Amino acid sequence: MKAVAQLLNEMRSSGVIRNYALFGAVAQMRYTEPVATLDADVLVAVSQPDRLDVLGDIYAFCAARGYPPEGEAIRVGPWPTQFVPVFTPLTREAMEQAETADFDGVPFRVVKAVHLAVIALSVGRAKDFARILSLLESGSVTRQEIGLLAARHDLSAAWRQFETRFPHE
Amino acid sequence: MSEIQALLERQARWQKTRQALSWPEKVRMAERVLESVRQLRRPRKAEPDNPERTPP
Repeated sequence: MKAVAQLLNEMRSSGVIRNYALFGAVAQMRYTEPVATLDADVLVAVSQPDRLDVLGDIYAFCAARGYPPEGEAIRVGPWPTQFVPVFTPLTREAMEQAETADFDGVPFRVVKAVHLAVIALSVGRAKDFARILSLLESGSVTRQEIGLLAARHDLSAAWRQFETRFPHE
Repeated sequence: MSEIQALLERQARWQKTRQALSWPEKVRMAERVLESVRQLRRPRKAEPDNPERTPP
């Protein structure tokens, strides 16, 4: 994962991407106990978002450094890494407000717990609900914080549904 | 019953200690099981004589 952090920092400093932030299960582990996952997910703001092949520069940059594509991801060491262009105001905000963590001495931008929870809420699969519950249990985010952010992103109904299904004990 | 309760409480405490590990250490734990997870989630081919059953 250190190699993923180094690659992303290099990508940003060379202008291939404007910014990035890790999200998904690997980001979740910063706040909760470890979870099994298949890949690393990264939100990216690309330098030329209007291009048809929006991830083309990223793939070329990685290929030049010996990181091959693997399905819809790029294999960086053991980690298939998926690059997801910021696609909603919520994901853009999550990326812009990400925190810089330390991964074995390398700075690594990671989405905050509250944004992870609300992105999970917006996706709404069983494993996303499990992520929200896990983040709540870890104490890294509160129901009130999720509710407020969900309201700002038009997800109040989804949040109410979650609260009905998983009431606070 | 109280033994089972105690066992569950010990397990919960143990799980909490994993939460307290550093983030890189937790990611390395996930990395160690990455290949196994990949194998488990890989779609299996159905057996030729029984299309509904997949080999173990």
